[in-house]
Amino acid sequence: MPTTLDLHAVLPEIILSGTLLAVLVVDLFLRDERKLWNSVIAMAGVLGSFWATLTLIGDHRATFNGMFVVDSFALLFKLMFLAVAALVILISANYLDEGVRSTQGEFYFLLLSSFLGMLLMASSRDFLMLFVALELVSAPGFLVAGFKKRDARSNEAAVKFFLFGVLSTAVMLFGMSLIYGVTKSTNLVAVGQALAHPAARSEPLIVASILFIVAGFGFKVSAVPFHFWAPDTYEGSPVPVAAFLSVASKAAGFAGLLQLMFVAFPHQSNVWAPGFAIMAVATMTLGNIVALAQTNIVRLLAYSSIAQAGYMLLPFAVVGGAGPAVMRQAFAASLTYILIYSFMNLGAFAVVIVVNRKRSSNLIADYDGLMSREPGLTTAMLFFLLSLAGIPPLAGFWAKFFVFSAAINGNAAWLAAVMVLNSVIGLYYYLSIGARMVLRPAEDQSRIGVPFALAAAIILLVIIVVAVGVFPDFFNHFSPRSTLVAL
Amino acid sequence: MIDGIDVLIMVIKVLVVFGFLLVSVLLTIWAERRIVALMQQRIGPNRVGPFGVLQGLADGIKLFFKEDVTPTNVDRSVYFLAPVAALLPAFLAFAVVPVGRGFHIGHRVITLHLVDLNVGILFFLAMGSLMVYGIVLAGWSSGSTYPLLGAVRSTAQMISYEIGMGLSVVSVVLWSGTLSTSGIVDAQSGTWFGFVPRWFIIPQLPALVMFLLGGLAETNRAPFDLPEAETELVGGYHTEYTGIKFAMFFLAEYLHVITTSALVVTLFLGGWRGPNILPFLGPLLFVGYFLAKLGLVIFLFMWARATIPRIRYDRLMHLGWKVLIPASLVWTMITAAMVVLPQEVNRTTLIVVVGIVFEVALIVWLARLTTTALRRGRLRRGDSHVV
Amino acid sequence: MILAATGPEIAFWGFAVVAGIAGFFVVGSRNVVHAALYLVGVLGSVGAIYIVLGAEFVGWVQILIYVGAIVVLLLFGIMLTKAPIGGVALDNNQRPVAFIVAATTFGGLTWIIWRTFGGTRIRLSPTRTAQIGNSLFTHFVLPFEAVSVLLLAALVGAIVLARRD
Repeated sequence: MPTTLDLHAVLPEIILSGTLLAVLVVDLFLRDERKLWNSVIAMAGVLGSFWATLTLIGDHRATFNGMFVVDSFALLFKLMFLAVAALVILISANYLDEGVRSTQGEFYFLLLSSFLGMLLMASSRDFLMLFVALELVSAPGFLVAGFKKRDARSNEAAVKFFLFGVLSTAVMLFGMSLIYGVTKSTNLVAVGQALAHPAARSEPLIVASILFIVAGFGFKVSAVPFHFWAPDTYEGSPVPVAAFLSVASKAAGFAGLLQLMFVAFPHQSNVWAPGFAIMAVATMTLGNIVALAQTNIVRLLAYSSIAQAGYMLLPFAVVGGAGPAVMRQAFAASLTYILIYSFMNLGAFAVVIVVNRKRSSNLIADYDGLMSREPGLTTAMLFFLLSLAGIPPLAGFWAKFFVFSAAINGNAAWLAAVMVLNSVIGLYYYLSIGARMVLRPAEDQSRIGVPFALAAAIILLVIIVVAVGVFPDFFNHFSPRSTLVAL
Repeated sequence: MIDGIDVLIMVIKVLVVFGFLLVSVLLTIWAERRIVALMQQRIGPNRVGPFGVLQGLADGIKLFFKEDVTPTNVDRSVYFLAPVAALLPAFLAFAVVPVGRGFHIGHRVITLHLVDLNVGILFFLAMGSLMVYGIVLAGWSSGSTYPLLGAVRSTAQMISYEIGMGLSVVSVVLWSGTLSTSGIVDAQSGTWFGFVPRWFIIPQLPALVMFLLGGLAETNRAPFDLPEAETELVGGYHTEYTGIKFAMFFLAEYLHVITTSALVVTLFLGGWRGPNILPFLGPLLFVGYFLAKLGLVIFLFMWARATIPRIRYDRLMHLGWKVLIPASLVWTMITAAMVVLPQEVNRTTLIVVVGIVFEVALIVWLARLTTTALRRGRLRRGDSHVV
Repeated sequence: MILAATGPEIAFWGFAVVAGIAGFFVVGSRNVVHAALYLVGVLGSVGAIYIVLGAEFVGWVQILIYVGAIVVLLLFGIMLTKAPIGGVALDNNQRPVAFIVAATTFGGLTWIIWRTFGGTRIRLSPTRTAQIGNSLFTHFVLPFEAVSVLLLAALVGAIVLARRD
C-alpha cells in the first residue's frame, strides 16, 4: 500500500476545500436575495480552518513525501492567510451583495480556492508543489479581477493580469525545470544541498535559472520591472479584489520567494543579493515617485503597495555572502514586514470600499472633508495611512525598523538610507490624503453609512495596527522562530 | 532486431489495410443507400453491377472527373489542406485495431494489426480528436457563411461528445486493466458457463450504449447530423468543395464510421474472437468473425439513420453535456468499484450489499411508478368523459 | 556533437528542427489561423519527441489534449470572432527588434545549456503507464488534487464570465 498520509497536517486544507465545495453546492439552491448566506458559509469554513491550524501549533510534520511540511513558518503564514481571508470576506460581503448579487457564490468559491492555494504555498517545500500552489493562487485571481463583466476596465484588468501572469509563470517553470535538470530533484532542501557544491555556486545555468524563477515570483509581488500589471489591474477590478490582490496574493508570492531564496538557493546569495538590491531600490523608488502623481485612490494604493513590496524585498538584498545570523535576521525582518503590511493595507482598502459605496469614481478628491462626514472612519483611515508611512507608535514603524536594523547589521547601510529617503517621499502622499480628509471642506455633506461587516473589519484592523505598534514584541517573538534558514 | 522481412511484412500489412479500408468504404456507401432504401420501402441503387454493388465506385469515378471549382475567396493553403486533414486521422486510427488472430510462418509471428501500441486506446482517442480539424479548417477556409456555421456547429458537437465517449472507453480500460487494444481483445477470451462469451458487452452494457451515442454524434451521423442537413445549411462544411476534394470528405465520413465501428467491435464485442469451429480455415476464420461483427455494428449505424428523426441542436448539446458526461462519470465510478471491491471485500458481503442496493432501487422505482399512476388515476376520475 | 547517430537521435533532431521552424512561423505568420496551424505542428513535434524519448503515454496525451482539444478551442474562438482570410499583421511593427532580442536570448540560452549539459548521455527506456498511474496517486497525489481544484476553479470562473445574464 502507498505511504500513509498525515491527515491532521492537512486538516486546514481539507476544511477549506470542503467549504469551497459547500459554497458552490449551496449556491445552487439559494435565491438571489438569499445569496449573502454564501459569505456566512465561507466565513464559517475559514474560521474552522483557522481553528484547525491552531491545533497544529508546536508540531513539525512532513507528509506527502516531503512535499508538504508543517512547521512554524508554514503555520504563521497559514494563520495570516486565514485571518486575511476572514477579513476579505467581511469587507466584500456588502459590495458583492449590492453589485454582482447573482454570482456571489462563485466569487466566494474562487476566493476560497485562491486561499487554498495560499495555504498550500506556505507548506510546500518542493518546486512542483510551489508551482501548482502558485497557479492555484493566481488563476482564481485572474477570474475575479474580471468579475464586473459589463465594465471594460474590469475586462482590461483581468486580461492584463492574466497575460502577465501566465508569461511569468511560464518563464519561472522553465527556470525550475533547468534546476531540476542539474540537481535531479525538485525538493527544495535537496536542491539546496546539491547546489552547495563549490562548482555549482556560480554556474551560468544556475544563475539564469534563478533569474527566471525570480521573474516569476517578482510578477506576483509586483516588483519592478515586473510591476506593470499592478496599477491597471487594481484600478479596474472590483475594489475588494484589489484589496485581496494587494495583500494576500503578494504575501503568497513572498512566502514562496522566502522559501526559494533561503532554502533552495542560500549558497548562491552572492549572485542574487545584488540583483535583489537593484530590484528593491527600483521598486521602492518607482512606487513612491509615481504615487505622487496619482489622482485615483486605488491607483495610488497600488503604487504604494509596489513601494511597500520594495521595502519587503530589501532584506533579501543584504544577505550576499553573509553568515547565518544575518540571514536569520533578514528573513525575520522580511517576514514581519509582510505580516504587518497585510493588515494595514487591508484596512486602507476597507475604508476605500466604504467610500466607494457612495462614489464609485474612487478619486482622491472624493475624500475631501471626510472628517466632517464620517469622523470614525476618517480616524481609522488616518491610523492606516500613518502606519503605512511608518510613523511610531503604529505597527508600520516597527515593520520598517526591523528591516532597517537588518540592513544595518548586514553592512548595507546605503540600502537603509535609500529606504529612509523613500519613506519620506511616501510620508508626503500618505499625509496629503490625511490632510485632505481633515482640512478640506466636503463637497457632499451627507453621511456615508458604514455597514456592520465593514465596520467590524475596520475596527479589528485598527486594533491590530495599534496593538502591534504598542507591543512590538509580539512579532519579535514569532518571526525569528519561523525562520527557514538552516544553521 | 528489425530486418528486411519485417519491413516487407509491415509494408504488405499497410497496403492490405489501405485497400481493405477503401473497398469497405465503397461497400458501406452502397450498403447504406440500399439498406436505408429498403427500410423506406424503396429499392435503392441496383443498376451498376450486381445489386448495384459498384455504385460507390461509379460515384467515385464521377467525382474524380468532375470540374474542380475553387472559389476566389478561399484561403488557398488551408482549403487544400482540409480534405487531407479529414482523411488522415481516419486512416491512421485503424492502425491499432486487431483484425484477426496472429499466426506463424516459420518462426515468425505475424500479428494482424499494424501496430501494437501499449497505449493503443489513447492513440485511437487522439486520432478521434484530430478528426475535428478537417471540418473546422474546411469551414473556415471556404470563406462563406454556411460552411463556417456548419463547421462551428459540427466542431462544437464533436468536442462535446468526445468527453462522453472518452469516459465510456475509460470504464472499459478499467475493466480490462490495459490500454492496449490487443490486450483488451485478449481480456475478452473464454466463456461463462461454457457458451456465453466473455465479451464486454455484458458487464459494460451502459458503456456500450454511451459509446454508441457518442460515436453517432462524433461521426455526424443521424440523428446527430444537423450540421450536414441539407435543409438547414446546404452542405455544411463541405459546401464549397467539388470533385475529388468533396470525394475525400465523403470518404472521410464513412471511414470514420467504419473505424468507430471497428473500435466498438474491439472494445465490446470481443474483436476477432469466436469459437474455433472451422479449424481448416486457420486465421481467416477469425478475420471473418471480425468482419461479421463489423458489419453488424455498421448496420446499426445505418438503421439509426433510417429510423430516428434528427435532433435539434440545443437538445443535442444538452444530451452531450448534461446527460452523457454525468452518466459516463457515474458508470466509470461504478466500474471502478466493481474492479476494486472484490479485492477489498469478501465475496458474500459484496453480493449481499449489491443485492440490497438493487432491492432499494427497485422499491423506490416501483413506489414512484405507483404514485404517478395514482395521481393520473385521480385526474382521470375527475373528468366528465370516461374513455 | 553527434558522434554516432542512432535512430532515436536522428528522429529527435528531425522533430526538433520541425518544431523550431514551425515555432518560428507561429509568431511570424500574418494570419491567425495559419499561426494556430503552425502551433499544431509545434505541439505535434513535441509529442513525437516525447514518444522518441520513451514517454509514450505523455506523448499521446500531448497530442490528444494539446493538439486535439486546446488548439481546436483556439480555432473555435478565432472563428467565432470572425478571423479574416488574408494577411492581417497583429503586432506593433517592431519585428526587427523583436527578432534581435529573441535571437540573442536563444543564443545565450543555448550556450548556457550546452555548457552544462553538452556531454550528458541518456539511456532511453520506455515508461509504463502503470508507473505513471502509480506515482501520480502515491508520490504526487497532493499536486494532483490541487490541480483538480484549480481546474474546477477555472471551469466555474470561465462559465461565470462567459455566461449571458
